[in-house]
Amino acid sequence: MTASSMRTSRRAVLAAAAAAAVAAPFVNRSALGQAPSGAVRVWTFMSANGQSPRERVFRSLIEAFQARHPGVTVTVESQPFQELETRFVAAVAQRRAPDLVWLRDTFLSLVVDRNALADLDQELSPEFRRDALPDMFEVFVRKSVFNGKRVSLPLWPSPAQAIFYRKDALGEIGLEAPPLTWPAFIDAAARMTRGPRFGLGLPTSDNSVSALINIMTGFGPSIFDAATGRLDLTGPQALEAADTVRQLVARNAVSRTLLNAMGDDIQDQFAAGRFAMAQAFAPRFQQFQQIAAGYNARDLAISAWPSFGDRPPAVLLGPYWTIGMSPNSANKHTAAAFLESIFSREASLKWAQDASLVPDRRSVMSDPWFTRPEASVAAAFHRLLVGPGAMVFPQRIPDITRIFTVLNTALQRIIGSDDAPRTILADAKSTLGW
Amino acid sequence: MAGPIALSVRRQAAIRPPGRVAATLVAPALLVVVAVNILPAFFGFYASLRRIFFFGDEGFVGIANFVELFADPMTLRAIGRSLVFTFGSLAIAVPLAVLAALGIRQLGAAGRILLTILLVPWAMSPIVVALLWKWILLPSPGGLLAAVLSLFGTDPINLLSNPQLAMPTVIAVGVWRTFAFAAIILTAGLGQIPADLYRAAAVDGLTAAERFARITFPLLTPSLLIVLSVLTISYFNEVQIIIGLTSGGPIQSTTTLGYLLFETGFVELNQGRGNAIAVVMFLINLLLIAGYVRLLGGQGGR
Repeated sequence: MTASSMRTSRRAVLAAAAAAAVAAPFVNRSALGQAPSGAVRVWTFMSANGQSPRERVFRSLIEAFQARHPGVTVTVESQPFQELETRFVAAVAQRRAPDLVWLRDTFLSLVVDRNALADLDQELSPEFRRDALPDMFEVFVRKSVFNGKRVSLPLWPSPAQAIFYRKDALGEIGLEAPPLTWPAFIDAAARMTRGPRFGLGLPTSDNSVSALINIMTGFGPSIFDAATGRLDLTGPQALEAADTVRQLVARNAVSRTLLNAMGDDIQDQFAAGRFAMAQAFAPRFQQFQQIAAGYNARDLAISAWPSFGDRPPAVLLGPYWTIGMSPNSANKHTAAAFLESIFSREASLKWAQDASLVPDRRSVMSDPWFTRPEASVAAAFHRLLVGPGAMVFPQRIPDITRIFTVLNTALQRIIGSDDAPRTILADAKSTLGW
Repeated sequence: MAGPIALSVRRQAAIRPPGRVAATLVAPALLVVVAVNILPAFFGFYASLRRIFFFGDEGFVGIANFVELFADPMTLRAIGRSLVFTFGSLAIAVPLAVLAALGIRQLGAAGRILLTILLVPWAMSPIVVALLWKWILLPSPGGLLAAVLSLFGTDPINLLSNPQLAMPTVIAVGVWRTFAFAAIILTAGLGQIPADLYRAAAVDGLTAAERFARITFPLLTPSLLIVLSVLTISYFNEVQIIIGLTSGGPIQSTTTLGYLLFETGFVELNQGRGNAIAVVMFLINLLLIAGYVRLLGGQGGR
């Protein structure tokens, strides 16, 4: 090869590369007709070999995808759920991130600020964007778009932290479901406290949920300042929420010693029959049924939170899971194809049928299966989800890594000390520097 | 190897200065310590002077992290709780370990078997120990303690949810896990004391208490110094048992400086301030160990 031909060749290669780089964003994989292939790494809190309903469905979706695309290997790398976002951001910086990652909606803004998520509109197929996205729940989908960039897809639309209750315990006091206003709810919870069983169990030591916020949602979305995303911790709504907890404790509906219970502790104790009602993560409903020991699993049911005044029953849709893609993924095409498969109509129906979850695709709700008795749980979730009291956390909540621990310390003081609620909430506000 | 080359090698080995041999032996360990401890420690100090949140380095802030840390009343309370946990645990673990070591020496072979059994908690991961005790202390029918109490007609006690009882409970679990380690060091220390001294003491008519005060304790101080130093560092930095048992609660009654570091650095993801806490913890550890060396360091073997 002569020097001149080498120069020509190099120039041609550079020109071709430049043309490809310019054209790439406008040419989607569908147009290229590429078949998914290669490896896709997924980080999630679920185990590849887990036996929970969600884990079994997820495994079956992976197997189905691999069967459709024999050249693809999907590898699940299980991570502690509270570390998914931090580990992912670190991994992106070190260019060893997985292709897909499960993220909590409340952490999305932090991950976006670290430029750690790909723009999914560049990766999803036109068919998916045309058919699937409008078929998903708008309130969740909208929250994943930051400055016009779609950074994730929300999974398992659900009321997140809901009230689980035992129909048998409600039946003892002549009720079929928990009252949906706080005064009546407090009264019912107090009447259900019998022997070692308390009317209501609340997680008080969790760094990703706060019962105090859930109680405040009884005032509606106005609890979050529209401009800052903050809660007014010394305002009348927060004080009313604190007073509500005090009443629950005073009426012995909530145990005064329930001071360092995490969500899992509440789940275990509820299963053992220690509570008639409890705050719980809605997508775990089937798990609660499976581990029920202190009551009949068929007596388990789900309710919205009570509200204040004449507000509709409160349903806080979060924290919930979303799935994002690494900007450094070497196999975005296949990763996107797998991501789409998780949100297909078939997958949505499977999540509902096998894990009692509300389908991600709204149109699936018209499937005849939802008229059957076994669909009652998913149908109940769906009713909460589309109810007038449903709301989400703001897209950006300041101090999201601190707010739950600070408010849970406040909740512990409200339950376990005689300090004035106003002082406790002022301390929480001061700790957050708000 | 044989012949002139082998002879030359042996001669070189023979004339190599002993310092070089020692350095060669120490070098691998030193490299590991530098890589795993020293360099991260320097980086930690560097990070404590920067605003780092959620893996984003927002720049140099001087001592701002330390100023903010000490402006927060929680910090001094956490230091106080760390000292309560540390010295509370030492006050129980060390005498218990001394008694155990004396007993084990007396029991001979049976004592060594007993010591092996006692060492099981030390071999367990602290987080496993915490979860184990959480189940034992569960204030419901499934809890072992509740079951024992029910035999006496007593209601379950929620030790971990009581702000007054949580810290003593955490201390008790910490001691349960570690005191056998102290006992094994002290047992070895007792083995170093010449038996002749005790025979001479018997001839002089010294009582058991006098033998302990005049022979055992003074000659055991080097081992005690090791035990105190190791346990102080261990207790002051303890976090896994607290995470597993109480998550720093109830109402922050078990939020020690170690737990505050975990919460600030790993939950709140304020890594700059978390490193500032780590620096403060390092300095307090250093002060405590220096105090022990000053107090006990000169007494060994007198």
